[in-house]
Amino acid sequence: MSKRKVNDAPLPVGTCISEVQDILRKRLCHQQLPDTPEGVQAQHKHLLELLKRTAIHGESNSVLIVGPRGSGKTMLLKCVLRDLLEEKEVERNLLQVHLNGLLQTDDRIALQEMTRQLHLENVVGDKVFGSFAENLSFLLEALKKGDRSSSRPVLFVLDEFDLFAHHKNQTLLYNLFDVSQSAQAPVAVVGVTCRLDVLELLEKRVKSRFSHRQIHLLSNPTFSQYLERVQTQLSLQDDFPDKTFAQDWNASVKTLCEDKSVEDALQRHYNSSKNFRSNHMLLMLCLSRVSVANPAIKPADLLEASKMCLIDAQANMLHGLSILELCLIIAMKHLNDVYEGEPFNLQMVHNEFKKFLQRKSNSMYNFEQPVIMKAFEHLQQLEMIRPVDSSSVKTQREYQLMRLMLDNTQVMEALQKYPQCPTDIKQWAMSAYG
Amino acid sequence: MSALLQQPGYEEERLQTVSKKLPCREVQAGMLLSLMGQPHQYSYPSIFIYGHQSSGKSHVLNVLLKELELPHATVSFVECVSVALLFEQVLLSFFGCDAASLLPRSPSLSDFVRIYRQQSSQSPAKQTRYIVMEKAELLRDSDANLLPALLRLQELVEDNVTVILLSEIVWDRFRPNTGCFEPLLLHFPDYSKGELQHILAQDRNPSYSDEFYSAYINILLGVFYSVCRDLRELRHLAALNFSKFCEPLAEGKVKETDTHKLWRNIEPHLKKAMQTVYLREVSSLQWEQMQQMEEKENGAVRGLSAHTHVELPYYSKFLLIAAYLASFNPARTDKRFFVKHHGKIKKTNFLKKNEKTSNHLLGPKPFPLDRLLAIFYSVVDSRVAPTASIFSQISSLVTLQLLTQVSHGDQIDAPKYKCAVSMDFICAISRTVNFEIIKYLYDFL
Amino acid sequence: MSTSSVSKGCFVFKPSAKKKKTLSLEDHFIHGCEGADESKTRFNQCQDLWDQIKTDTELLQDELNTKILDSLLDFTRKCSSTRQHNDWASHMRASEIPTAALVLGVNVPDHDMTFQSLSELLRQSVTPHVASVQAKECGALKHLIKRVLERLLGTDVTVDDDEEEETEQTSAPLHKSVHCSLSTLCDWYTMNTKKSYSLTPGKKRSSPVKDDLQQPPIVIIFKDLEAFNARVLQDFILICSRYIERLPLMFIFGIATSPSTIQHMLPHSVSSLLCIELFQSLSCTQHLATVIDKLILTTHFPFKLNGKVMQVLISIFLYHDFSVRNFIKGVQLALLEHFHSQPLSVLCCRKKEALLNVMQLGHQDLERIRQLPSFKRYVEKQEPQEQEHLLTDDTHLKEVCRRLIKDLRKYHKHYYPTLRCLHTLTSSLPRYPLGKQIRELHLICLEKNVWENEEYQSAMKLLKMMAKDELISLLKKCAEILQHSKSKNMKSALLLLEAMLAKFKQLDTVVAEPPPPAEESITSPVKNLQKKMDLFQLQKALLEMNESRRSKKLSPFEVLRNEALQFIDSLVQSHLSPPESQTLYEVCYYSSSATVRRHLNAAPRTSIQAALNSPFYYLQNDRLKSEDGSVSNAAPDICIVYKLHLECGRLINLFDWLEAFATVVSAAEGNDPDSDSFGKVDDVKHARFIRAVSELEFLGFIKSTKQKTDHVARITWGGC
Repeated sequence: MSKRKVNDAPLPVGTCISEVQDILRKRLCHQQLPDTPEGVQAQHKHLLELLKRTAIHGESNSVLIVGPRGSGKTMLLKCVLRDLLEEKEVERNLLQVHLNGLLQTDDRIALQEMTRQLHLENVVGDKVFGSFAENLSFLLEALKKGDRSSSRPVLFVLDEFDLFAHHKNQTLLYNLFDVSQSAQAPVAVVGVTCRLDVLELLEKRVKSRFSHRQIHLLSNPTFSQYLERVQTQLSLQDDFPDKTFAQDWNASVKTLCEDKSVEDALQRHYNSSKNFRSNHMLLMLCLSRVSVANPAIKPADLLEASKMCLIDAQANMLHGLSILELCLIIAMKHLNDVYEGEPFNLQMVHNEFKKFLQRKSNSMYNFEQPVIMKAFEHLQQLEMIRPVDSSSVKTQREYQLMRLMLDNTQVMEALQKYPQCPTDIKQWAMSAYG
Repeated sequence: MSALLQQPGYEEERLQTVSKKLPCREVQAGMLLSLMGQPHQYSYPSIFIYGHQSSGKSHVLNVLLKELELPHATVSFVECVSVALLFEQVLLSFFGCDAASLLPRSPSLSDFVRIYRQQSSQSPAKQTRYIVMEKAELLRDSDANLLPALLRLQELVEDNVTVILLSEIVWDRFRPNTGCFEPLLLHFPDYSKGELQHILAQDRNPSYSDEFYSAYINILLGVFYSVCRDLRELRHLAALNFSKFCEPLAEGKVKETDTHKLWRNIEPHLKKAMQTVYLREVSSLQWEQMQQMEEKENGAVRGLSAHTHVELPYYSKFLLIAAYLASFNPARTDKRFFVKHHGKIKKTNFLKKNEKTSNHLLGPKPFPLDRLLAIFYSVVDSRVAPTASIFSQISSLVTLQLLTQVSHGDQIDAPKYKCAVSMDFICAISRTVNFEIIKYLYDFL
Repeated sequence: MSTSSVSKGCFVFKPSAKKKKTLSLEDHFIHGCEGADESKTRFNQCQDLWDQIKTDTELLQDELNTKILDSLLDFTRKCSSTRQHNDWASHMRASEIPTAALVLGVNVPDHDMTFQSLSELLRQSVTPHVASVQAKECGALKHLIKRVLERLLGTDVTVDDDEEEETEQTSAPLHKSVHCSLSTLCDWYTMNTKKSYSLTPGKKRSSPVKDDLQQPPIVIIFKDLEAFNARVLQDFILICSRYIERLPLMFIFGIATSPSTIQHMLPHSVSSLLCIELFQSLSCTQHLATVIDKLILTTHFPFKLNGKVMQVLISIFLYHDFSVRNFIKGVQLALLEHFHSQPLSVLCCRKKEALLNVMQLGHQDLERIRQLPSFKRYVEKQEPQEQEHLLTDDTHLKEVCRRLIKDLRKYHKHYYPTLRCLHTLTSSLPRYPLGKQIRELHLICLEKNVWENEEYQSAMKLLKMMAKDELISLLKKCAEILQHSKSKNMKSALLLLEAMLAKFKQLDTVVAEPPPPAEESITSPVKNLQKKMDLFQLQKALLEMNESRRSKKLSPFEVLRNEALQFIDSLVQSHLSPPESQTLYEVCYYSSSATVRRHLNAAPRTSIQAALNSPFYYLQNDRLKSEDGSVSNAAPDICIVYKLHLECGRLINLFDWLEAFATVVSAAEGNDPDSDSFGKVDDVKHARFIRAVSELEFLGFIKSTKQKTDHVARITWGGC
């Protein structure tokens, strides 16, 4: 919208901020494509070449883009497509079919989707096909028809490729690869997956038909690159309407990234995960704190954000438990210590708890069995304890064997954080044996 | 406090009303709001909000979305017996019923996404659309692809949509083993005691003064806070017991200010409530009736678990007793208990408690039908013909959930059972047929 | 009818297509029954009697249930009304789903009727929206919701279960578009209630209740809570609780065991959404007592059961199932058997018809009468030429029969009131010498002369030392009982009794003036003794006193007391003689308890074992006759195999077994033991062996085991 007015008339801060929000949110939340995918130029070139050959010279091909989640596979692919479609001829000819393993959960659905995306519903009408292959070939044939004698190149993009491998005897994959092998029609099959072992999933006949081209996106940037990326992610392009603001903003970002504490925080994130997504999340949290009152990202914001990302959720939940429930957890912890993590049932826990109560003089905690039961159920509801066998309806509740899903450190630190936690309970938790 | 609720793109007074409606949740509301950004701006594709029961998760969201009139669809996943319901509801609230009617009989995810795309391309989102899913933990039980797909729905439908999941369970228990799009985690902390006090004090009885009611709430929390922090529960209890609290006032015994007297009046009452209403032993209706009644009659209303007595046919009783013995005694001790003239069994090896814990701690063990009947015939006084009705009684006990059949249905020739009744239940039963069961229980030797 | 009861095994499940023409039924009856000539009339009599019994019992059930059902209805009304008004507390309260926990006891088969009438009543008086669901049709949440919706949206057409089945098919296409979710129900309900505002006056009149509460509640009845899958129930309740604001939902849980099962099934997080009210139905034993009282201990029904049969039926009830319905079925069976097997049952009907039928009797029947033991006894009592007459002259016999029949009826007329009197007197005594329930006393009386057994004596003794006021109240009760009976003797008895009571009255006035000190000294300790210790030791104490007081003269009260008791005793002696003593009792009394037991309390296992142990018993083939209980080797293979397997341990080696089998069989074939072919296993033997073994496995005596491949394991109780 604001491309037109390039004059340097300073805009009010509010509009600038919302501009910034717009732009950055597009980047961080909507995975807006960067102009050049940084860090993966090689792969980009490779893939682009590959697809060009299909699109222009009509060579069939098949390739897998493999990389952990959030490492920018889709981004890469999208970039490549964007660049590919810049060429008029390609744009005219190339047909695209995008399938997603999450959506097309079996081949029937996948086929329908294909037909739809190739705009062949009316051509197919209500024909009945003997086999999948028959159907597919028919589709490709149908594409031949039209003005040109030679058929148009088709690009199949299979997102979540590994899920397709679970379809009934992998018919879809088999046929696609088969077509890509034989010279029926120019077809490019691009699989996108996060499973490095994806080839093991493929049946022999399918694997044999796959040109073992793989593009790996094992992005592990150095920390400096990571910092670099953060900065670029945050900084504004110079087509920003208000130049001065943009400069200030970028400057502030620069200072932010040079801040020591920020660096440490980022270091922590870097160690935990290097991929785009997690760092998008972090930056998103920072961005959300930017407002008119606070027109630039301060180190404090980023630290806050990183704290939010790295916080232990389970501890948060423990904080909300009632004293009684906490006591039960401690009892379970003791049971775990004594019986080397053998599963336990409510009776045992209650006993353990009783032992504790007996040792104490005042009896403010001794509740009846039902109250304890209720607390116990609540813990189960929160999945802090899990039944060993799923058949929960079978046995009486007080005898059902359970496992504690927390480890001692979590319990202990929860105790520290717990609001006005009675000291005797603390000591009980500390004590070696219940 | 409403300073936190500032976000360009919304009217001030709207935000004001929101912040009024959300006592003690301004922080979270502000956080959410800033994440949402301005209506037209993109928000994070999926947000996962977790926090304890009634920590205001869905309340905050509903208030925000309703007050600010953002396009949203709220679905509780409990209701979605089939995913079709979910899809239908979402499409309905975004694009109207004709869109929902486009769904085929049993729609797949891809159908849903396809239709959504069509619709959104016809009417692209001017504002971010929000899909709020309550009880998200149940998503795990349904179709494996549903959760990952929802998390990256924005990408799939290429529309400005944000999915917000609400749950009591932490995200770590959700993550599928092949990983998925990580949502943005947001925690709703539980209300602190002060906050509870503040919130509860707000809905005071119009006919009483403010501080009087807050004093009441204070006492209430004093009793219940250690076991229960559920706002809903507490509010319920407050409502039930308030009349009792006011009694002395009505009788003119004490003044409103005399908190200590009031406390002495209500405290035992609340203690009782802890064991009855709080556990729903006594229904709230009965509880209120009890308050009308005099103290002496209060004993009349017994909790549900008080009625454990079950009338059973004579042989069923013995079958049940036999089952109990079978499931709580180790099989090796049967000889000693039930064989009339068992040979010399050395006390030592009989009484060696190699079990670390008693059987009543470990719970009932499964036992085969043969053993059950063997014990049955030795404990029942008269001699019983093995008629069909005896066997039918066993299966009836199973359907009555006094026994549970542990072995699977396929091996009908040697079924295994467990006894599913409590100690005092069986004691009561055996008293009626004057059979002193304690003598026959290994744990009590 | 649900099979989940303590009495399942004893049912006859009629196939749903049981609509047979009565004619064919009748043919069944007539086929192969004694004295086919007037079997038709007997059949009709039987039918009439049964119908009468049936209607009576149904009425009885309704009476018994009225109390609890009424309270339930009140509950529903209250809930639906409380929903309307909103004061501070009620709107502060977390809205719970009102729930009635209806505890009905373990006799599940009896419940159907209760629920039937319950839903009827609800529909009539409270709300048109009632849906009742059973566990077996709701395996998953989906189905449960589906059922509920179907029954609610279709309630106006469906009335009872059978019709529901077919409406399901019809309404399935109707509801296809509807997703099975409560929101649908919600919309439907709002629409419906709107309609009910603008009711046509005609419809208004039909259901006046709906006007005052314009929001009739939606009642969902869970017939058998225990059988439901807990998970499904929880989810359902959770969903419902989300709609409780908009829908006036209400649950009724049918509970067989005890209310605490609710807490076992539902976690507190769910049960906290319910507002549970408890309703206890009266126990099935009370139920049985009333049934017996109204059905057995009356003169309305000429058909009677003798002691043994009664015993069997009652013990089945007490020991196996608590099902009244089964008890009545048992009576029905007895009834059928009686009319089917006993030709003279033609006389077992109302007095008038009976007398008519006597005149209809053919010679053959009269012969039968002459054969009756009771009649023989009667004859022997007559003087010779009368005997002559009876045995030869049919017309005379008929006359006599008429008289005898009348006597029999009189006997009954007297028996029951007397029985009740005796019961009222004895039922309050310590240790219940003559039983607590009247049925026990009845059984005793049916067995033999009551006054001869020592319980009766001891009871009398206890009565003899009863305090005045107690005694009087009891006697008053007796008087009331006697008032109901029409017969002369009873009337006279009543008069006597009243006279006595009057005397007791006077006694007060007498006692008012200073009594002789002697008895004072004795009665007063008696009085306060009674207060203190158990009457039983008291008895001894007092006996001594009596000894000591032999000499002393009795107080007027004691004199009267003894009179009264003597009077009672005389009543008993004259009227409570067992039916066997009556002539022609065979006409009315059904006595073959064995048949009843065989039909109602079968023992398949034992019969199978009997068959295998002694095939002769069933096959009646002399070659199979075997002394000393051992199976002759000519017995069928399976018997031999069975016999052999009895000698083995828990695990049976198949090969050894085969060997043994082969030897036995070849011995049967009479090959001489010395020949080397003796006991050789050839293919035929092998095949026979295999077949026998598999048969045995099928019968559930053995099963293959994983422990050893070539072994099979013995099962003691499998296959039952």
